[in-house]
Amino acid sequence: MKSTEDMEKFVADAKPHVTTGESMDKRVLQDSFAAMDEKCRVGLAPPSLIGGLKPTLRFAKLAVAAAVIIAIGVFLTRDRQEPSQPAPPQPAVQAPTAMLSMMSLRTTYQRGGWDALDRQFRDTLDQFGPVASGLSMRQLLEGPNGS
Amino acid sequence: MIDEKILVWRFNRGSKDALRRIYEKYKDDLLALALTLLRDRSMAEDVVHDVFVAFAAGTGAFRLSGTLNGYLSTCVANCARDRNRLKAGRNAGLDGAEAVACGFDGPLESAARREESGRLNNLLAHLPYEQREVLVLHLQHQMRFREIARSLGVSINTVQSRYRYGLDKLRSVFNSTVTE
Repeated sequence: MKSTEDMEKFVADAKPHVTTGESMDKRVLQDSFAAMDEKCRVGLAPPSLIGGLKPTLRFAKLAVAAAVIIAIGVFLTRDRQEPSQPAPPQPAVQAPTAMLSMMSLRTTYQRGGWDALDRQFRDTLDQFGPVASGLSMRQLLEGPNGS
Repeated sequence: MIDEKILVWRFNRGSKDALRRIYEKYKDDLLALALTLLRDRSMAEDVVHDVFVAFAAGTGAFRLSGTLNGYLSTCVANCARDRNRLKAGRNAGLDGAEAVACGFDGPLESAARREESGRLNNLLAHLPYEQREVLVLHLQHQMRFREIARSLGVSINTVQSRYRYGLDKLRSVFNSTVTE
C-alpha cells in the first residue's frame, strides 16, 4: 500500500527521460526559423530596453500615494520651522574703490537705512584708515555718472 | 533566470541562435511532457513542433512573465489537450502505453527505470485527462497550482481538487494492481 507521499514521489521519479531525434530537431528548427523569418519580414517591432515596464494602474496608484506623502511631509515641515531670523544686511559693494561711491551709498541706504550706511563708513575706515590714500574724489564719485 | 531573460531578449531581437538554444534546452522535457499526456510519440513530436513554430512566430512581441520552462510547458499542455480532444473518438487503450515505453531513447537508460516509467504511464492511463495533466505538470514539471490554474483557465481550487482526486485514484489503481 502506498501512501499519498509515496505516490507523489513515485510519479515525480518516474518522469520519462526521452530525447528528440535528429530528424525531429531538424524539422522543428527549420520550421521555426521559417516562421521567425516570416515574422521579421512582415515587421519586427523591436522591444524597448525596458520592455514590460508599462505605466499600469498599479504604478499610477503608487505615484499618487508617493506624491500625497511628499506633499504632507513638506506641509508639516514648513509649519514646524522656526521663524527665521532676518539676515544681517550685506554691504552693497565689496571692492574698496566702490565702497563710498554715490551709487553704493544709495544702495546701502535703501537696504539698511542709516545703520547700514554707518556700518559701511566704519568698514571703509577700517580698510583705508583715516586718510583715503590713493583714492581720488573722481574715483569716489564714479558710478553716479555711469563712467 | 537572468540567462533566460537574456535569451528571450535576444530572441525578441530576431536571434536564431537564441531560439536554437531555447529549443536545445527544453526540447527533451517538453517531449516527455507531451508523451506522458498523449501517450503517442508521433503526436507528441507534432505538439512540440507546433509549440516551437508558434513560439518563433511570436518573436518581437513575446513577454515573459514567469519562467520560460513554465510557459513552454503550458503551451505543450494546451496543445496536447487540443490533440487529445481530436483523438477522443479513438480509444488509445494500452497500445498507447506501449508507444510510450518504446519512446525512450538512449541505450544508457536502465531497464528498471524504463519499466517504472512504463508502469506509471499504464497507471496514468486510468485517469481522466484533466487529472493526469495536473499531476504531471505539478509533480514532474514543478509547476505550482496557481501557475497551472492560470494556464488552464480554471480556479486554483479546481486544480487542487483534480490533483487530489487524481492522486487518490492513482493510488487505488496502483494498490489494486499490487494486490492482484
